[in-house]
Amino acid sequence: MNFDQRVSCGSLNTDHIGRHVLLAGWVDALRDHGDILFIHLRDRTGIVQVVFAPGNAPSQVYETAAALRNEHCIRVTGTVIQREPGTENPHLDTGKIEVAADGLDILSSADPLPFPISEKSMLAGTGEAGAADGVNEELRLQYRFLDLRRPSMQEKLFKRHRIMTCIRHFLEDHGFYEVETPMLTRSTPEGARDYLVPSRHYPGDFYALPQSPQLFKQLLMVAGFERYYQIVRCFRDEDLRPNRQPEFTQLDLEAAFIDEEFIYALFEELVPEMFAVGGISVSTPFPRMTWHQAMETTGTDRPDLRFGMTFVDATDLFTNTGYAIFKQIVDRGGCIKGINVKGQSDQLSKNVLQNEYAKQIVPEFGARGMTWMRVTGAKLDSNIVQFFSGHEQQQLMERFNAEDGDVLMIIADTSWHTVCSALGQLRLHVAGRLNLIPEHVYKPVWVTDFPLFETGADGLTSCHHPFTMPSATEFDPEKEEECLALTSRSYDLVMNGEELGGGSIRINDRTLQDKIFKALGLSGKEIEDKFGFFLKGLSFGTPPHGGIALGMDRVISMILGTASIREVIAFPKNRRAFCPLTGAPAGVADTQLAELGLGTGGPDQSLPGAAPEADLMETLSWVSRIQVSENEQAEVRQALNQAQAMARDINTHARDLDGRDPVYTVFPATNQTREGTRARRHILAENRDLFKNAPAVTGDFFKVAGILE
Amino acid sequence: MESSVFSFTPSPSDHPVENALRVAVQPNMSCRGWPADAGSKALENYTALEDAFVIAQLKQANAVIAGTTCMSELGFGLVNDTGARAVTEDLADAALITDYIGESRAAAAKAGIFGFKPSWGRMSRRGLAGLVPSMETWGITARRVSEIRQIMQMVCVFDDQDFSMRPEPLPDFDLSRSFQNQAPVIGVAQGYEQRLNPNEARAWNTALSALKTAGCEIRPVHLPDPGLFSLAHHIIAAVEASSSAGKYDGVRYGHRTDACADWNQMYLKTRGESFGTLIKTFLFQGAYFQFQQYEAFEQACRARGKLMDQTLTALADLDGIAGLTLGEHSDPPAAQTIEDIYEGFGFTLPANLTGLPAVHIPGLARHGRKDFGVHIMGKLFKDPDLLALARFLETVTSKAGAA
Repeated sequence: MNFDQRVSCGSLNTDHIGRHVLLAGWVDALRDHGDILFIHLRDRTGIVQVVFAPGNAPSQVYETAAALRNEHCIRVTGTVIQREPGTENPHLDTGKIEVAADGLDILSSADPLPFPISEKSMLAGTGEAGAADGVNEELRLQYRFLDLRRPSMQEKLFKRHRIMTCIRHFLEDHGFYEVETPMLTRSTPEGARDYLVPSRHYPGDFYALPQSPQLFKQLLMVAGFERYYQIVRCFRDEDLRPNRQPEFTQLDLEAAFIDEEFIYALFEELVPEMFAVGGISVSTPFPRMTWHQAMETTGTDRPDLRFGMTFVDATDLFTNTGYAIFKQIVDRGGCIKGINVKGQSDQLSKNVLQNEYAKQIVPEFGARGMTWMRVTGAKLDSNIVQFFSGHEQQQLMERFNAEDGDVLMIIADTSWHTVCSALGQLRLHVAGRLNLIPEHVYKPVWVTDFPLFETGADGLTSCHHPFTMPSATEFDPEKEEECLALTSRSYDLVMNGEELGGGSIRINDRTLQDKIFKALGLSGKEIEDKFGFFLKGLSFGTPPHGGIALGMDRVISMILGTASIREVIAFPKNRRAFCPLTGAPAGVADTQLAELGLGTGGPDQSLPGAAPEADLMETLSWVSRIQVSENEQAEVRQALNQAQAMARDINTHARDLDGRDPVYTVFPATNQTREGTRARRHILAENRDLFKNAPAVTGDFFKVAGILE
Repeated sequence: MESSVFSFTPSPSDHPVENALRVAVQPNMSCRGWPADAGSKALENYTALEDAFVIAQLKQANAVIAGTTCMSELGFGLVNDTGARAVTEDLADAALITDYIGESRAAAAKAGIFGFKPSWGRMSRRGLAGLVPSMETWGITARRVSEIRQIMQMVCVFDDQDFSMRPEPLPDFDLSRSFQNQAPVIGVAQGYEQRLNPNEARAWNTALSALKTAGCEIRPVHLPDPGLFSLAHHIIAAVEASSSAGKYDGVRYGHRTDACADWNQMYLKTRGESFGTLIKTFLFQGAYFQFQQYEAFEQACRARGKLMDQTLTALADLDGIAGLTLGEHSDPPAAQTIEDIYEGFGFTLPANLTGLPAVHIPGLARHGRKDFGVHIMGKLFKDPDLLALARFLETVTSKAGAA
């Protein structure tokens, strides 16, 4: 069968009227008018209507056409004709013409579909046909090959391709080489769990899949490539989150003999080009904020600058206040900050401010409370305003630029972090609730100068990673205070409150690198074990260098405005890191495990090198507060072995059950409101019958052993 | 003999009514002023403060509570249970037996009488000290279907203090209703016979011919894997038991250990001493799924949904789904470990997992000296229809017995 003469469905228009054409594709929709059969024929370029009428075609063509069903793959020949006036379809780009068929081959037939694929109505005036967006996502992922036939899904992956192509052309023009780095490697210090791959040749040893090519790209700078990039898959075994994938795609980039300005300039050119693929314009230059400024004014290192309501500091206004709570906080070195919700006092009633925000919402954000004030008649109005002097009220109004109709929301705490973090969450909550975030607006910002270190459970840890260049090189690694004051030459690219990527200028000096390790409290042996190969590289004339990585799935999802990143990935895992299409992850044959030197007894069998787990029976005895006597231990342990086997057993059914909701009762239990009940002491408590069965009672209480140890 | 059947009987003056229906209960069913230790040290010396809702309904309908039988610990399994004996020894007209996994039907099967488990949500469980809230029901055993129908008529009243009840119209257990003039349609799982051993298969064939002779239409239906019913029941019941046994803390009632230094020790020892080994192993299994393998519990609940869907679909055009009540080697009263219990109750537990009503009918599935029993599951809330079918088959057995 020859397809040389094939033309694409979407390319046909009125210029082709009278032409005889060969088309091939899938049956998108059918409409049978008894003697005439219409179909929508779809290929990746679009849809065209094909008409089978007894007069136009030999009778066996017409008979074959009667057997057509949705999604049969077919080849059609026919003549392009103009549609009758009034039968044009405005939903189709090819809606002014149709193809009168004179030949038809069914190349391959399709089984009945699990969900509709067609997105275009055959009739004018009926709107778009029901798209499959409402279909259960698990089902879509299970039949991803059909889901991806939908024009809207093809469009998303096509745009993804366009964005990637745009990046490659751009970086080619700017002198970058694409170099591949290994997938089977050693664990790198990115902080998440590694996906491990057991080695058959070294039983008991493992490769790790890369969390990022960090060390390799730095070694490529050592190797003198000067400008490197890679669109690379990375793997992180993190806790499940709805919008997270175990594997994801990064634009990874590194350059030598550069500083921050090079990266800023490069990305302020590249990012607008990427967003232009989605028809979005992003203005340049991107504003910059230091991490400290971002925290001070928005309470987050991912500031959303689509709306105002940035923080106002009012600590200094209350150094001598008579309001005891503020006074105490100021005296103890705390701070007082607030936001002005301009002109929204009609939307924020006293009840909402006091009972919702002050009592419930703000405490959930980690602050102890919130002070609010509404502005009416050029005065502050609140449940605590009487504690402030007239002068203080006046200064507050000026500091917050407060006018009638404004609402001030203020958080005070002895911890600067608590104030910033809680007020930052409050700012987003209020903006969301009052619809203050404009749509279709894209506000990038560079957040720079992150702290170099933070304090963890065991001393200092790196905020970014230990290869980040500090802003100052003269410091004493033994002095924690001095180290904590250091900032780093790092930068994050943030858009609309989401982090698109980040990077830093790296350390290229072995002595400085050793100082950082010393501050982190790493021993010589640990350093050698983890990074020996890398440090060796650093000792052979490393150029100054730096780079950045962007999370491409997230970037593309933002450009295309999709609800989740799964919409822009061809074959994603679901929210539970499971692939409904292939059933991965899945068990493997015992023989495979044996070859790899891994146990075959399932997860409870200890693996080589694994630390012994806490005794299961002891753990459960404690959590369920049931002591097990000597002579019961064997039976309890045997029952637990059985339970472990059952857990494995039920998990073998996982694939059949995926996508189902757990059922906890035969039918949903109902809350029943009983008539005429009011708060009262129960009769059994009143007549003390409740105490009759109690082992120990004292007065009106059940008596128990001491609660405090 | 009486003393070994009943753990407690009221003084004679307590039942003045002549010819009243005599009902034996278990000591986890609250009768005001009566001891109610649920067969467990966890409720040692407990005296019921109120009548259970169902008990109150029985009393109101002039039934007589004949006494409290002996029961297994918290009613799980049938070790030491004397409920059915109260009926066979004519100490009561009916005995109530808590049903988590098939206890009432299996006890009836061992004793050669009728056993019935109503739909979940049909009888209020207020005042029933249970262990598996999403499956447990009161079960009824009696020599004839008519006593079961009488009790159902008395107790099926809406109780707004049991979350599982729905304000539905009260069912009518009209004693005269029967299938006499129709042909009941009974479903049997495809490949059911292949799962039986030779003696079970012979008993089953006897039952099938009896059902056909009686005019039943036997229809093969597709039913899910029986192993999955058992697995899902086991995981879910263990978790619910572990959770609902949390209330036995020795503070408000029940056994309390001797003086302890602090309250953690008090809990550990009190609860360690309160539960027997069988229940303890079950509670540990539940704790394992709850605290270490919650995903397995959720999977079991997903499996439960799927099994319910498939069973309901199969039941759509049927009057019931039938099988044997007991296997050849299942001896429920002798089951001493959790594993043995699940082995012994394998044929009855699907009704608990799905909440469907189920009845054990004696006399139809005999082979040799053993009556394996015919077990029929009906549609949810169609308890009257299922009992009408049981009544219809009762007439068949009595005819068969006469012949």
